[in-house]
Amino acid sequence: MGASQVEPSPEESVKQVGLKAGALVVGIAAADAFNEYVPAGHRPEDFLPGARSVVAAGAKGPTAGAWRSPNHEVMEITGYDFRENIAVHAMADFIERELGYYAIQAPSLPTAGHQPPMSMMLAAVLAGLGTRSLAANIILHPEYGMLYYAALITTLPLQPDHVVEKAVCPAPSCVKMYERLGTTPCLRACPASDGGCLDGTIEGGRIRHSFYDRERCHSRAQTYGPGSFQKSLLAILDEDDPARRKTMLCSDFFTRSVSALAFYRESVAQCFECIRVCPVGKVHRVNKK
Amino acid sequence: MATETAALTARVKEAALKRGALVCGVAPAAAFDPLAPDGQRPGDLLPGARSVVIVGGAPPRAGDWISPVAEHLESMGTTQRIEPVGRAVAVFIEEELGYYALHVPGGVGRGDRAFLSLMLAAELAGLGSRSLAGPVLHPRYGMLYYAAVVTTLPLDPDRPLETPVCPAPSCVEMWEREGTTPCLAVCPASRGGCLDGRLENGRFVRTAYKRDLCGTRVYTNWIGSFQKVLEAALDEPDRDRRKMLLYGSLFTRTLWSITYAGQSQAQCFECIRVCPVGAEYRTKK
Repeated sequence: MGASQVEPSPEESVKQVGLKAGALVVGIAAADAFNEYVPAGHRPEDFLPGARSVVAAGAKGPTAGAWRSPNHEVMEITGYDFRENIAVHAMADFIERELGYYAIQAPSLPTAGHQPPMSMMLAAVLAGLGTRSLAANIILHPEYGMLYYAALITTLPLQPDHVVEKAVCPAPSCVKMYERLGTTPCLRACPASDGGCLDGTIEGGRIRHSFYDRERCHSRAQTYGPGSFQKSLLAILDEDDPARRKTMLCSDFFTRSVSALAFYRESVAQCFECIRVCPVGKVHRVNKK
Repeated sequence: MATETAALTARVKEAALKRGALVCGVAPAAAFDPLAPDGQRPGDLLPGARSVVIVGGAPPRAGDWISPVAEHLESMGTTQRIEPVGRAVAVFIEEELGYYALHVPGGVGRGDRAFLSLMLAAELAGLGSRSLAGPVLHPRYGMLYYAAVVTTLPLDPDRPLETPVCPAPSCVEMWEREGTTPCLAVCPASRGGCLDGRLENGRFVRTAYKRDLCGTRVYTNWIGSFQKVLEAALDEPDRDRRKMLLYGSLFTRTLWSITYAGQSQAQCFECIRVCPVGAEYRTKK
């Protein structure tokens, strides 16, 4: 008598498709869980009528080898490979083709201004994949630390995962450091009081208040991308001297800005210093042969 | 020999479907010769070309079609997902079967001229037929995105469809009743739109498609808009206005579109939204 095969649940099936397509982690949130946190116009139901679930996928950014490269330009150009987006596309196709429910990729790129239509960070939190951190509010997964996230919205009813109950940040070693020195590794790497982007306090082993200078961080973390292209182009167009214009056009800065557009998956984030010193997920950034 | 070719054809199609294609067909390379202009034939791209493998799929999902946010479908229409499938099939043919295979570039070589007409390839491979709305329609799925692989591998070709997919029976009925069809009604050339046509005996006998006009509406955030805003910025003598042009949402979205082409390319789907072909596939729970 052979062993009986247990049919995987829809939740397991969807997650398996995502993991097979390259996601490191996949979590599920109830679509209406967003309503408490975000204004109308940014909720799953606003993009897909009848939305029941949001499935978030996380994937690694830089490899362990990239983290330890002594050449800082390596980290500047290896921040992204889109695996989480691919996983989301694979799961959305699976849901529509195999399970017969509507599914869309959750929109994350702004169509006007700087606000994303839907927050991937909130999707990751509500799907139980991590919690916000002192380090630029980046969502830290308990095991892997910083990941990149994408999500899908579907009318398929799925059992949501539990949110992570114990905040991932601050890590125990950071609490100890805070008690000893009044700071944490990330706050010290980029202190707002000294021209950096981060500030915060810890009480009872938990974040009591945090501050993140998003605009300043953006100008440092994404020095090559659409923003730097626009900035360079404006300066080039405003330049009346042909020789200086040529210098600007052929400069490393503009060349890398164009390269960032053309090879986006190789070049988007250029500052990782708050995460470089973060203990969460460190084991996955070291200990390789 | 015939059995071997049939087996190879089955392997290639299986590989394509496994790699994400929704449909796959084969056209003989020589079939393009009387229909495609010189320079746009399979042999012009790959000497000794015998077959053209066409993969189709990656249409906007059913969920995309029903989203009430206009920008959503604008930013989800993409050929990006079918291009890797075409390349994967080319790699399979070279690595596994040992024949030359060339993934036809999805862009244009010169001007607006494609390297190979993917619409013609899809028709010759029996994957669909041309429509009043412009795109080739697959009988079951309606509009799909296509990628093509030209190869020296001899394969069993498929035949073009005998019965055209367009006009659908419901469109013929509408034409007889109202003198128009859903796609012609939604974008009539007579009122500033892109489409015109005429049906007789259940078939279209005349079509008109204003490609250039359609292009300006379908690709509002794409390479053309990059060139347009750049030209406007160059022509603008006022520095503040120039800055506004370069930092405006149109140019920013255009840059994201060029950069992140997987999410943002085509911005008008209205003729296909109303098309009954594939509507069932676009309907879910």
